[in-house]
Amino acid sequence: MPGKRSPARLIVALSVAAVLAVFLLYTSIAGGGTPSLQPSQLAGHAGRVSLVGIVAGQPSGDAHAAGLHFLIRDRHAMTSVPVVYKGSVPDMFKTGREVVVDGKLRHGMFVAVPGTLVTKCPSKYTPKK
Amino acid sequence: MPDLGRAALVTSFLLLVYASAAGAFAAWHGRRRLAESAQNALIAAFGSTAVAVVILLTALARHDFSYTYVAQHTSRELPLGYTLTAFWGGQEGSLLLWLFVLCGYSVAAVLTARRAGREVIAWVVPVLGVVASFFAFLLVFVASPFATQAAPADGAGLNPSLQNPYMAVHPPLLYLGYVGLTVPFAFAMGALLARRTDERWIVATRRWTLAAWAFLGVGQLLGAHWAYVEIGWGGYYAWDPVENAALMPWLAATAFLHSVMIQEKRGMLKVWNVLLVVLAFCLSIFGTFLTRSGIIQSIHSFTQSSIGPWFLGFICFVTAASLALVFSRLPLLRAKTRLESLVSREATFLYNNLLLVALALTILWGVIYPLLSEAVTGEAATVSKPYYNFFLHSFGLPLLLLMGIGPLVAWRRASLRALGKTFLWPTAAALTAGVALLAAGAGSSRIGVIAYTFSVFVLATIVLEFARGTTARKALGGVGWGGAFTSLVARNRRRYGGYVVHAAVVLLAIGVAGSSAYQTVRETRLHPGDSMTVAGNRLVFRGFESSLAGNHRAIRANVDVYRGGEYLGRYRPGKNQYFAEDQVSNEVSIRHDLLTGGDLFMIADQVNTDGSVDLKVLQKPLVNLIWLAGLVFVGGSLIALWPDAREERRLAERYEGVTVRA
Repeated sequence: MPGKRSPARLIVALSVAAVLAVFLLYTSIAGGGTPSLQPSQLAGHAGRVSLVGIVAGQPSGDAHAAGLHFLIRDRHAMTSVPVVYKGSVPDMFKTGREVVVDGKLRHGMFVAVPGTLVTKCPSKYTPKK
Repeated sequence: MPDLGRAALVTSFLLLVYASAAGAFAAWHGRRRLAESAQNALIAAFGSTAVAVVILLTALARHDFSYTYVAQHTSRELPLGYTLTAFWGGQEGSLLLWLFVLCGYSVAAVLTARRAGREVIAWVVPVLGVVASFFAFLLVFVASPFATQAAPADGAGLNPSLQNPYMAVHPPLLYLGYVGLTVPFAFAMGALLARRTDERWIVATRRWTLAAWAFLGVGQLLGAHWAYVEIGWGGYYAWDPVENAALMPWLAATAFLHSVMIQEKRGMLKVWNVLLVVLAFCLSIFGTFLTRSGIIQSIHSFTQSSIGPWFLGFICFVTAASLALVFSRLPLLRAKTRLESLVSREATFLYNNLLLVALALTILWGVIYPLLSEAVTGEAATVSKPYYNFFLHSFGLPLLLLMGIGPLVAWRRASLRALGKTFLWPTAAALTAGVALLAAGAGSSRIGVIAYTFSVFVLATIVLEFARGTTARKALGGVGWGGAFTSLVARNRRRYGGYVVHAAVVLLAIGVAGSSAYQTVRETRLHPGDSMTVAGNRLVFRGFESSLAGNHRAIRANVDVYRGGEYLGRYRPGKNQYFAEDQVSNEVSIRHDLLTGGDLFMIADQVNTDGSVDLKVLQKPLVNLIWLAGLVFVGGSLIALWPDAREERRLAERYEGVTVRA
């Protein structure tokens, strides 16, 4: 690095400050991200969350009409929550697969935001289970 | 045979450990013969790793399910091509590919990059040896591709989304990129260890860095295209951690490629360059770690993965060791010159660097955010698309603008008056384009208009540069316009190759802005005979068709597309049902409009038992410019990479001349 009083240092310092400011501004306005929870952790969260878990039960209903109904349970426990979902269903979706879906808990039913259902595994790089 | 494979890997491991230990000892004590022996061990390790590769490929081709790896990733019905590409379909094979590519790069770089100087090479060998030993260690002790079992009747098959021609090129290209970043890293460390901190290591590895960076870039674009045509959700990039894993080192390497020019020309930013190359290398290891360890899912699944802790340990070791080394060599890294003005080529390159690194680090923050929040609060939280898009806009758009400004600002100190003259026409062109776009109704997306205005500005500067250079060349006489143009590019390959790559980035920006900010999406349930209209196209559903094809059943929805009464053809989106894997895969149908560069993207989202289909249709304007950008990118990289006898002579005079006198 150049010696004392070089404009390079000034640029670096100012840029780092600017980047930090933009970053802090964003996180303070948009919040710190969506909580990612398993069914057993859902209680007490009224806002929008990402629900993570394993598809359980036989999915029924029509994702493009009244909604697809299925259960999501914890990865390593049997606690589960009923889910209703509308929109595209990923290819990999089926009972036993790990999925993530955004939504809110309403009267014991997890109402998903349309189109947010994604399967977590097997992604294109992870080995099949 | 599996025993031979294991033996080959053990041999590689021992050779690499020898190359590291003996190489370090030789470099430390200046033993020339021992250094050569270490270098030979590195070359031999490439040979024995190649043996392991051939054995695994043979096992795959012979459907030898007594290999656990073969049984887990292939099946008898899988076509031969995909059976072979299953080599990198799983963890163990991918690691073997890493090691093989690394050994290949090491041998080639050590043998060709003589210009770095003998003392530096002597240290480069053990550095490469240590990195390769780590991967060989994993393959021998932790995740062996040659584990065996009682052979089952059939294998589990390959994930259907991997059964695609892209599987043959996308992962190997990414590996060529990831692994290739080891070369500049090793030479940087070698130069520091040998206390030879001039710019020779940069000159010697320039082409290797450029090649790795180009592979990584093309690999990602191919991956995006793969996702676009195969995964079938209508997009090409989803800020998925695995995708980010490749983007981060690419951004760091892009910053590095720019800032080394400043060190070459002005002897500045030495510490910054070494730090950047360390960052790029660590991010590439981190990327491999992300894709392979399962840490994305949760901190908890991370401890279940066999290689995760090893990778984390290695990343910590590399970071700590290289930072300690840089710190101990700080006195040698003093700059010869200093920045003279905030408006100069050096300064704009510095802004570009800071933006690129800031973008890479914010992406990194997003990727590790779930892990950090889980570690701190006990509850994981994720950031999603809006987070990434926000930072892409706030750092990417200024970067786009700088791409037009940077190359035209004078070195050392630029006068504002000269700048005004240089940028008069590009600015005028950009403002005209902006006003025209607003008049045409593109104002629905502010970001889109800004991106387009900046794009026009950059394109105008590039065109002007080519025009100015060609005119000057022609004025020298003796050549026509064509001759002047080719000789201009041939005489300054780095510069004009760079401009072509910049043009590719502009095309990419236009394509991304068009297809994301201005896309139309419609979703409707259609019974046979029903129709829907999307962006002026009328789509009529004519019913399903089903057929058996090898390892799957194919269901297709016949959709006729009309535009203004004109019949544009029949398109067949549908689904494939794979038997062995018991999985469904979406098969989209895309109508390319080469005149406008847009796509009509059709997805048979849901096939209903009553014979109806839920058709999702996306109109994506200008999306084909993204793929065109890929071609232009390859062209520009090739121009910049192409061997240049004139440059070689210049460098030989500059460096070998110095060596002789010293």
